Amino acid sequence: MRLQATLLVLASCVPSAFAIYPDEVNHVDFHHALLGVPSSHSTFFLKPSPSSNASLLYTLSEQSLLGAINPRDGTLIWRQNVSRSSLPGDHGILRASDGANAVVSAVGDYVSSWSALDGKLIWENWFEGEAVTDLELLELEDATAAASSAKDTIALFGGKAGVVRRFDGDSGEVKWEYKDDSNDLPFQVSSSATEVFYISLQSALLKGNKIKVTSLDTLNGRQNHHVVLNSESDVSGPESVLFVGANTASPLIVWADKANKSLKVNVIGTKQVSTLNIENTSGEEIQSITVHTAKKLNSLPHFLVHYETASGSWAEVYHVDLKSAVASKAYSLPFLQSWSVFATSNVDANVYFTRITESELTIVSSASHGILGRWPLPATLSERGVHAVSEVVTKGDTVAVRSAALLESGDWKLIRNGQIEWTRYEALFGALAATWAEADDQEDLAHQLEVEGHESLIKAYVHRVNRHVHDLQYLPDWLKELPTRVLTSLVTDEVSNLDGFGIHKSVIVATENGRVYALDSSNHGTVAWSVKAAEADSWDVKSIITRPGSATVYLDDGSSVTLNTTSGAILDRAAATTQVRSIAFINDDGTPLAIGIKPNGAPMDSVDRPGFFVTQSDDGRVLGWSAKNSKSPVWDFAPVPGQKIIHATTRPSHDPVASIGKVLGNRSVLYKYLNRSLVLVTAVGDNTASFYLLDGISGKILHVSTQEGVDTTQPIASAMSENWFAYSFWGDATDPSDAKGYQLVVSELYESSIPNDRGPLDSAANYSSIDTLPLPHVVSQSFIIPEAISHMAVTQTRQGITTRQLLCTLPASNSLVGIPRQVLDPRRPFGRDATAAEAEEGLFKYSPFLEFDGKWYLSHTRDVAGIRSVISTPTLLESTSLIFAYGGDIFATRATPSQSFDILGKEFSKMQLLLTIVALGVGVAILSPMTRKKRVNQIWKATS
Amino acid sequence: MQFSLFALLSLLATTTTVAASALTITIPPSTLLPNPNVLPAGTHAALTSLPSSTQTKSGSSLPHPLTAPLTRSSTFVFRNLPVSKPESYLLDIRSPEYVFAPYRVDVAADGTVLGVWETFRGNPWDNRGQEKFVVDVADSGKTSDVTVEAKVLARKGFYEKRATFSPLSLFKNPMILLAIVALGFTFGMPKLMENMDPEMRAEFEAQSRSGPLSGATRSAMTGGGSPADFDLAGWMAGSSKGGSNSGAGGSAPQGATTGRDGGGSTRRRG
Repeated sequence: MRLQATLLVLASCVPSAFAIYPDEVNHVDFHHALLGVPSSHSTFFLKPSPSSNASLLYTLSEQSLLGAINPRDGTLIWRQNVSRSSLPGDHGILRASDGANAVVSAVGDYVSSWSALDGKLIWENWFEGEAVTDLELLELEDATAAASSAKDTIALFGGKAGVVRRFDGDSGEVKWEYKDDSNDLPFQVSSSATEVFYISLQSALLKGNKIKVTSLDTLNGRQNHHVVLNSESDVSGPESVLFVGANTASPLIVWADKANKSLKVNVIGTKQVSTLNIENTSGEEIQSITVHTAKKLNSLPHFLVHYETASGSWAEVYHVDLKSAVASKAYSLPFLQSWSVFATSNVDANVYFTRITESELTIVSSASHGILGRWPLPATLSERGVHAVSEVVTKGDTVAVRSAALLESGDWKLIRNGQIEWTRYEALFGALAATWAEADDQEDLAHQLEVEGHESLIKAYVHRVNRHVHDLQYLPDWLKELPTRVLTSLVTDEVSNLDGFGIHKSVIVATENGRVYALDSSNHGTVAWSVKAAEADSWDVKSIITRPGSATVYLDDGSSVTLNTTSGAILDRAAATTQVRSIAFINDDGTPLAIGIKPNGAPMDSVDRPGFFVTQSDDGRVLGWSAKNSKSPVWDFAPVPGQKIIHATTRPSHDPVASIGKVLGNRSVLYKYLNRSLVLVTAVGDNTASFYLLDGISGKILHVSTQEGVDTTQPIASAMSENWFAYSFWGDATDPSDAKGYQLVVSELYESSIPNDRGPLDSAANYSSIDTLPLPHVVSQSFIIPEAISHMAVTQTRQGITTRQLLCTLPASNSLVGIPRQVLDPRRPFGRDATAAEAEEGLFKYSPFLEFDGKWYLSHTRDVAGIRSVISTPTLLESTSLIFAYGGDIFATRATPSQSFDILGKEFSKMQLLLTIVALGVGVAILSPMTRKKRVNQIWKATS
Repeated sequence: MQFSLFALLSLLATTTTVAASALTITIPPSTLLPNPNVLPAGTHAALTSLPSSTQTKSGSSLPHPLTAPLTRSSTFVFRNLPVSKPESYLLDIRSPEYVFAPYRVDVAADGTVLGVWETFRGNPWDNRGQEKFVVDVADSGKTSDVTVEAKVLARKGFYEKRATFSPLSLFKNPMILLAIVALGFTFGMPKLMENMDPEMRAEFEAQSRSGPLSGATRSAMTGGGSPADFDLAGWMAGSSKGGSNSGAGGSAPQGATTGRDGGGSTRRRG
């Protein structure tokens, strides 16, 4: 009977333990779907559908992610990783045309066209070894070719020789190609309504470059004629040419002389070069010149040149006379002592220029200098702007504008008529390190309690009474708050107020561009503060370590920065010392201490504290050190020749073990092999992978397993906790009777293979790792899994009573899955059904294929891309573990591997409970007089 | 030097493109996935196998594993399969929500697809399932493009359903049903008895006194059918004797010993 009851309990809790409820989405988790910093030349507004006037914001980021953003709220609609080139692709190129529902991107040697509405592939093409240097969409005026909405693409491939290819807009097939056999440097392509221009740089006799413009026939790619412009005195390389015009009625080539005194403008296809004087009234040296033109075919031939000096900037607008092909200055926008970014936009043929400075946003028409709209900006735009794109709508005399501006900090803001609509923190993409901040508000109490613990009984009692009397001052406030708290608790989503349980911690994240962010996990991960902590543009963060109230970021050069976790203020900086490989952290008792590890694996200095380190060295060895001696290692481990160590993992620093044994179905116990200092080392050779389990103190090898047919180019992940470890890899069929696929191996360590036996050490309180360390009894099972795992971690809870989940990052399907430990039990019966005793333990029949159940997906339907690391931390609630994933996107959630057994769930309705009590009360109030009356009547009637 | 190598490679690539056949995987509408266009843009297909050791050493200019993104027409196209030796690939289609059957794709050294079969994960690689395509040996000179259909196996359910309160679910509870039936008896029986003709009533009363009916029902009939006198818990526990008191005792202390033998006790007092 009892057995059956236990079975029932087990059966009810094993299969459906963890999934998230739909109403918990966005409540227990948050996700920042990021693209990376948008690149300046490949960001634009586009109307993807000819039937609708709605436009989306498209970008190809510097991290080669192509995506579409909804400009209304800044949410990501779709994204694709286009870094599929085998060449080391620099920044890619993205082009599109209004109403065509296609965006064409090129990164390295990979050209692809994507459906603009939903991000599905239209065509793709590789040209091995030939990197794309420029890309244009053909906007032909003749209606014959443009009958279909798909526009053909012209791409210039650099390589040994420049090749211009025209791709069909629907199939991506090459319609024609033009090979440039001269030794010119392929530079750009441009197109007008009737011709395609190939622009190359021809080295002049002495020095400098001449610009050569070759005109090609759009239909067959044959060379029509070419023009050479005498620019050798001004142009020394591709970087000297400021602009080559894209798809305007009058495509331009713009360059400046070396002293930045005059601007040279040539309408492509003509030989004429107009020289325009640059009127520099600021008295400062011009640092950069940027040209902004309209991108639409039918727009007016007006362009804006943006001049920037050290302290400010101004702009001049030029008009091109189409007949004579001469450019002339129209007006100038005044010099302002501030940074400016400019953006162009079209309304039909009219061109509008938007200027964003640190204090305001103005808009002018290209035709005249009158300001059409001016909006002051909120003071939050303190960072320097990098680039912007904007979209202008005119209605009669009024204009409305929305601009997406990228700031130097990596914040991408949409400003609509001077109001900031949304901000995307694109710098968070590719975060280097993250950790949870520790609040310091409990510090005082902890200190007081410590005082009480150390005093005599009477003194401690007096101290406590004093403390409680002192606490009474908060009572009136508390009482005042009470009614509102009671009322709000009836209507809030969460039944119990979990603020006091360490659920809402903020996360400190260090990003590549030298900034530190604090994300507020109680408020959908909004950025609480962000500061530039690095003195350089970028930094290599090794580790972030938090103490109550502060967080310290350790860098690869031995320096560190300490920040206040609530305000982001920089508290302290430590100067650079020597190169460090990693940071070791001693946190046994007293003051925590961080010690840098040198590239050769040696610690920077020795401390007089008990402890040991296991380090990796650059020459591929694993070393064991005593904290007291940083001169020579206690042991060192090198794998067999031909193998290279790629990864080492240990048990997490917080890894409590609730039970030292595992109770079997027949009430006997298998004792766990618990060793605080286990190290799992992964070494790869030629299509093999070996996993060494070492004892961290003595360096003794406890267990080795070697796998054959392993693809070492694919991710090999491993994790360890308690008395078990797991690893995964791609295992090929070395023999036709083998299975082929990704494998997950899980191993458990026991003191002995026999139940109720504790091996040679028995229940000894102390043992020595060096003298007589017994080997563990290892039980393993392997599973075929549907896809690769790139990173593994284990959920951590406060006491370790809650069953653990193996957190696996799935890079192929962009998700995070938590595999319950019960499923990964290597003692699952093989080839037969579980006996009653085994079933009581929670074991069920082994099956070689482990399909990831949808309910295990912590990321559920979210597309969590590019995760490099997942960290987990316990909360004060035993049931709940916090999970934070970073490295690409940012994703955080709460995991409850054994369900939230210690908090009331959402299904518990306080309202319903209250209503039931009221209803019962009403019922009693109505019925009790009735019954009393009846009873009295009954007595009278019976006696009469 | 590097450029010339690349040029050579590109030459090789273009020559193999001519020989190789393109592998196209289509997603037909099925009962699980009636409209394949709903698949998100992240859906892709991957061909995975162990790269030859020379390939990995040369820095692997070939992308690995081979992936193909979802196209507008809900297909995956592997245009040129860059192989140097006969290869047996595992074809996976990854979609966040749908589970597709894995396939085995055998490719010859010149890049032509030799055959496509269904395969089963965790089974020997030899264990091939349904044949999707196999090359025709007779006209091996011609290379043709291969098209196979993907098969949707399942749809993942990510969410747990929350138990919502509905009055209907109350009635599914057997305890509640029992209670309702009992209530029906307590209220309905006296009415029935009144409508019965006296002879039959007498007969029925005699029968129920001697019959196996529990005390509660009897008291419900004899004790005037007061609903407050009915002890549901006691009735369901089946206890017919003993001092089980009714809940109304507090309000009427003198009637504390009423219950199913209430009639008798009051008579004694009188």
